[in-house]
Amino acid sequence: MIKILIVDDSVFSQKITANILRKHVEQSEIYFSADGWDGLKKYQELKPDYVFVDLLMPGLDGQSLIKLIKESDSTANIIVVTADVQNHVREEIENFHIMSFINKPFTDEKAQIICNIMKEKDNGKQ
Amino acid sequence: MGSSDMTQDILKELFNISVGRAAGILSDIVGQKIHLNVPNVKILKASSESYAIDEYIPMKKNGTLMVSTLSFKENYTGKASLIFSAEKMKTFISLCLQEEQSDSDDMDFNDVDFDIIKEIGNIILNCIIGETGNLLNISFKYTLPEVRLFNAMDFKYDYRNMDNIYVLILYITFVIGDTEIEGAIIVDLSLDSINDLLTRIHKLEESLYD
Repeated sequence: MIKILIVDDSVFSQKITANILRKHVEQSEIYFSADGWDGLKKYQELKPDYVFVDLLMPGLDGQSLIKLIKESDSTANIIVVTADVQNHVREEIENFHIMSFINKPFTDEKAQIICNIMKEKDNGKQ
Repeated sequence: MGSSDMTQDILKELFNISVGRAAGILSDIVGQKIHLNVPNVKILKASSESYAIDEYIPMKKNGTLMVSTLSFKENYTGKASLIFSAEKMKTFISLCLQEEQSDSDDMDFNDVDFDIIKEIGNIILNCIIGETGNLLNISFKYTLPEVRLFNAMDFKYDYRNMDNIYVLILYITFVIGDTEIEGAIIVDLSLDSINDLLTRIHKLEESLYD
């Protein structure tokens, strides 16, 4: 079973991402958080295989969440799903050695790319 | 073409590119082809040209408006608002959920509706502002998006009394399937920010003749 945590303050975006992931990732367990602090707590409790993180969120924002996760687990597989299309933001976030940076909305095509990366990873359970 | 015409032309083209990309994103969300008109772009002084702002937002003369806002701070200060007639928003929400719209004229919006409009507004405004920033090498630091319902008259009062003097207005129309949704984007900017924006456009203009 592949554990996935989606951290996004929009329930609409949580559902879009989860529905598409369910189509592409067999045997997935999907968990949700609506802000960065809750996301960090759930990450520590669940130790998910993959975390999908939005950037602009109330409380702890996505970038700070990624920093904290990476400080405690440098091997964490983080996929950023954001509306922010700015090149400098992408460059800044990619410095945290994330798995992928994707612009919203999450689509089947984008999910396929992520699944291919998951399959290539040693810890991919697909 | 005179310098100010060229500035206007560059500004229009920059927003044309970013609005085009926003239409592509919206098309991915609703799963339908989106037809988009070329946006009209104007820079206006809010205090003395508010009548012109009214002309740019024809649907705001009566009824209720739904306004999604994304503010930015630090190097660039201001906010971008996406304005639609609330009447069209029920149809738009159904399109986003890829559901049939009910026949009711219900104009009550629940938390799910607000969440959808907030998120779609966030995606569209991020695309338009962020892409324009990429093209002009400007970085924006956003605050959390908001969505509010306004009576048209209250909205008019709100933007006439806003902190920032200059507004940049784009009038846009999305046609999604059989549905035409007209909207406007108002970007209000501090004096420093508008000056910097125009300096960057002038540099771009000069580089055309290097």
